[in-house]
Amino acid sequence: MDRERSLQGSLFYIFTTVSAFLVIVFLVGIFYILFSESYLAIKKFGIIGFIFSQEWDPVRDLFGAAPTIFGTVVTTLLSLFFAIPVALGIAIFVTEIAPDYIKTPVSVAIELLAAIPSIIYGMWGLFTLSPIMAEYIEPALQQSLGRVPLVGRLFEGVPMGIDLLTASVILSIMIIPLIASISRDAFNLVPSIVKESAYGVGATRWEVIKKIVIPYSKLGIFGGVILAMGRALGETMAVAFVLGNKHQITTSLLDAAATITVSLANEFTEADTDLYLSSLFYLSLILFAISFVTLGVAKLTIQRLQRGGAR
Amino acid sequence: MTHYTKRRIENFLAIGLCTLSAAIGLFWLFFILIDVVVEGVGALNLSLFLEDPVPAGLEGGGLRNAFVGQLLLTVVAALLGVPVGLLGGTFLAEYARGTKIGRTISLLSDIMTSVPSIVIGTFAYALLVKPFGHFNGWAGSFALALIMIPIIIRTTEEMLKLVPWELREAALALGAPYYRVILSVVYRGAAPGILTGILLSIARVAGETAPLLFTSFNNTFFSVNMNEPVPSLTVTVFQYAMGPYESWHAQAWAASLVITFFILLVTLVGRFIIFRRYGKWKTL
Repeated sequence: MDRERSLQGSLFYIFTTVSAFLVIVFLVGIFYILFSESYLAIKKFGIIGFIFSQEWDPVRDLFGAAPTIFGTVVTTLLSLFFAIPVALGIAIFVTEIAPDYIKTPVSVAIELLAAIPSIIYGMWGLFTLSPIMAEYIEPALQQSLGRVPLVGRLFEGVPMGIDLLTASVILSIMIIPLIASISRDAFNLVPSIVKESAYGVGATRWEVIKKIVIPYSKLGIFGGVILAMGRALGETMAVAFVLGNKHQITTSLLDAAATITVSLANEFTEADTDLYLSSLFYLSLILFAISFVTLGVAKLTIQRLQRGGAR
Repeated sequence: MTHYTKRRIENFLAIGLCTLSAAIGLFWLFFILIDVVVEGVGALNLSLFLEDPVPAGLEGGGLRNAFVGQLLLTVVAALLGVPVGLLGGTFLAEYARGTKIGRTISLLSDIMTSVPSIVIGTFAYALLVKPFGHFNGWAGSFALALIMIPIIIRTTEEMLKLVPWELREAALALGAPYYRVILSVVYRGAAPGILTGILLSIARVAGETAPLLFTSFNNTFFSVNMNEPVPSLTVTVFQYAMGPYESWHAQAWAASLVITFFILLVTLVGRFIIFRRYGKWKTL
């Protein structure tokens, strides 16, 4: 019986070990498969040549990643720019301002909203937000900011609602709950004795938030922002509806564009030549590398800081 | 103006801005939710669940095929993903706690959770679609399972670590081998949390569209054959919403409402289980 037991024990151990190591197998596998699938395009266009080429012409079999990388970076940064202040506002409101009977419902609502799938955001963007942007918000921006020299170049063109700005707004609405809930958790970790000491020496509520709560939870906020950035970088459906999938680098936020994810979603099933498909795999590999490196570096930084005890 | 008044004013403005931004954020979020409900309820009827799609452009028909297909894809994904996630999390919490390899796999799982789902779709395409020459359900479920695994691994790990070490020692002292301790003591203690992790991972993949676009693809006919393209609600919503017909748009809204409702329900149940067990709303 003892032998039977130890056999079962070893089997259980082996199963758990194999399962855990599957994570490594999958990650290495993704990298290897994407690399080997995109090998054709890598050989043809090189690395620098692919990343900086603006050509995307399936008819002539010419492919370059610059427009899609541009679209990915612009929508991600713009959505973070919109989302961070609002999300921090929500987190501050929930932890420091709201009375208890508002706190819990708002918290739960935010977490539920974080669970809504991105395709819902995307469809809502297409049918509801995009007409609003085209009719009201974008013309208003052109009338005001559009007249300022230099800044005005960001708002040139005919407002159609299918553009970088609309896509970024939808992305930002989508990542707000993510940043808000992680920052809220970080704010909640601030020991109340520290806050009370500050109140005790006569600090106003805002001074406590600015000088105690936010510095204390810097790391948590940073983690939330990075996570949101990863989400925004790789988000497909929320932007696929309203970006237009046009491979171009543009100075105007009111122009159609493409991100890596959107061109994958739209073109993957249509790729008719080996080189076309290989180039799409190449884009996928680049996106994988970007998100892997960003998140890896961020997580390691957070771990190191936490271990060092610095906040 | 005295220094004190200045501080008071600054305080008032800043607090006002925070409240305002909270209001703005919540306004958008509720706008979306209410819009989905209003537009979706109008198109919701029984034939949506009981009939298959009619040819494009015609009125009527339903999305029975997509409902069944979505269920099939999700269940198969769970069958693939849950055991791996559960066992992997067990390894990290029980056998590799505090070791370098355990920490590394934890970190890699966190990173894998954030790998863009469409990248996982392209991976599944290369592995399970390209060699066979046609889209199939297995590839879709495989892609969804890959998204589930790291989520379940991490929640299982965290939940197992919450079980007090003394409990394991007590069971070991009774002469139980370690795997028995894990199976009948540790798992039992952490069951609600593990279950919640599984529920949340199901909620997450039930709304995934991107990894299905070129793996399980779509199918306008009723099909439960995993070797063929399998229809899913989310991909159908994408196609219908981008399509030109009003009747398609209405059905897309209705399907979105059903997906949203299902996911919110599962999420709420998960949170409620945690709430019952640990007495507080916990973010996983």
